[in-house]
Amino acid sequence: MADAQAEDTRVDWEGALVQRARSGDRRAFERLYREHAGRVYGLCLRMTRDAQLAEDCTQETFINAWRALGKFETRSSLSTWLHRIAVNVSLARRRKTGPVEPSPEEEEGIASEWTLETPVEVHEIESAIAALPEGARDALVLHALYGYSHGEAAHMLGIAEGTCKAQLHRARALLRARLGVEVS
Amino acid sequence: MSGSSNTENRKVGSLRELPQSIEPPHDLWPRIEAQLGEIPHEAGAAGKSPQQRRALRARWLAAAAMVACVAVGVWIGRSLLPGVSGGGSPPTSAQNGGHEGRSLAPLVPRQVYVSDPRYEHQRADLVRDLQARLAALSPPERAKVTTSLEAIEKAKKDLEEALGHDPGNALLQELLVNTYQDEMRVLTDVHEASDPGRGI
Repeated sequence: MADAQAEDTRVDWEGALVQRARSGDRRAFERLYREHAGRVYGLCLRMTRDAQLAEDCTQETFINAWRALGKFETRSSLSTWLHRIAVNVSLARRRKTGPVEPSPEEEEGIASEWTLETPVEVHEIESAIAALPEGARDALVLHALYGYSHGEAAHMLGIAEGTCKAQLHRARALLRARLGVEVS
Repeated sequence: MSGSSNTENRKVGSLRELPQSIEPPHDLWPRIEAQLGEIPHEAGAAGKSPQQRRALRARWLAAAAMVACVAVGVWIGRSLLPGVSGGGSPPTSAQNGGHEGRSLAPLVPRQVYVSDPRYEHQRADLVRDLQARLAALSPPERAKVTTSLEAIEKAKKDLEEALGHDPGNALLQELLVNTYQDEMRVLTDVHEASDPGRGI
C-alpha cells in the first residue's frame, strides 16, 4: 500500500518533470537524468560489456530521449521508455563494432525465476553474464535482471518471442556451466 | 561490472537480486547538456503528446465558440442599442474592483459588449484565481504574463473609449472582440501553465 503510494507520487513527480522538460526546461530533464542514469547505464553496460561504450550509449540514450520527449506518452513508464531507447542505441552501436550473433538454439524449458541452487557472489555472476554471447546476454539482462516479459524483451530487441525464449534457454545452460550451480 | 566491493562480494540466490542500477563512473550530464544546446527544441503543440494536443484543440474550440458568442453579443448590442455606451468612459481599475498597482485586473467586460453568460462565467473562473496562479509561476513567466495582460487591458480601454465616441464602428468592435480573445487565451494559458509540471 505504502509502496504503491510512493510509486504514484514518484510517477506524478516524474510526469511533472517530463512536462517541464518538454517545454525546454533542461533542469527538469537533468533531474530525470539523475533519476534514471543508473538503470540506463547498468543496462547499457551489461549489453555492451564496455564501460566507455556504455557511457556513450547512456549519453546517446538521453539525447535521443530529449529529442523524442514530445512523443512520450506520460501514462506509460518513463523507465521502460528509456530502456527501449537504450536497447536500440546499444544494439546499433554493437552492430557497428561487434560480431554477428549466431542463430539461437531451439527452445526447451525456460527458467522463470532465475534462482540459483546455491548463492553466488555478485561479481562472479556479473562476470558469467558478461561472458555470455550477445543474444543470450541481451535476453537474459532484460528478462531476468530487469523483469521484462518474454514478449517485451523480444519487442525491445527486435526479435521473435520464440527466439527470445531460445536465447534465455541458452543463457541458462551457459550460466549453469560457468557458475557450476543449477539455475532454475 | 563496476560497483563497491561490498556489493560485489555479496552473495545472491537469484538473478533478480542483482542491482539494476549501476552509477556511471563519470557524471555524463555536462556532456549531455552540451549536446542538448545544439538541438532545436520542439516548441508548443509540436512538443506535446497526442492527448495534450487533442485537449489543447478542444480548449481552443471551446474558447473560439465563446468568442463567437461574444462577437454575436457585440454585434447585437451595437446594432440594437447603438447609444447605450455612447460617451461612456472606459472602466477604471477602481471600477473593476480596485486591484493594486499596475492593473492586471480588469477584467470585468462591459455588458453592452459581452452578453454571453457562459463566456462571463468561464472568464470569471479564470480571473478569480489569477493571482494565485501567477504566484505559482516563475518570476520570468509571471513578468511575461503581467506584461501581456497589461497590454491587453490597455488595448481594451482604448477600444472601449473609441467605441464610446463611435459606437457603430464595426472595425473597433471586431478589434475589441479580438482583444477579448487574446485575454481569454492568456488567462487560459496561465491557468494551464500554473498546474504542477507545466510552464508558459
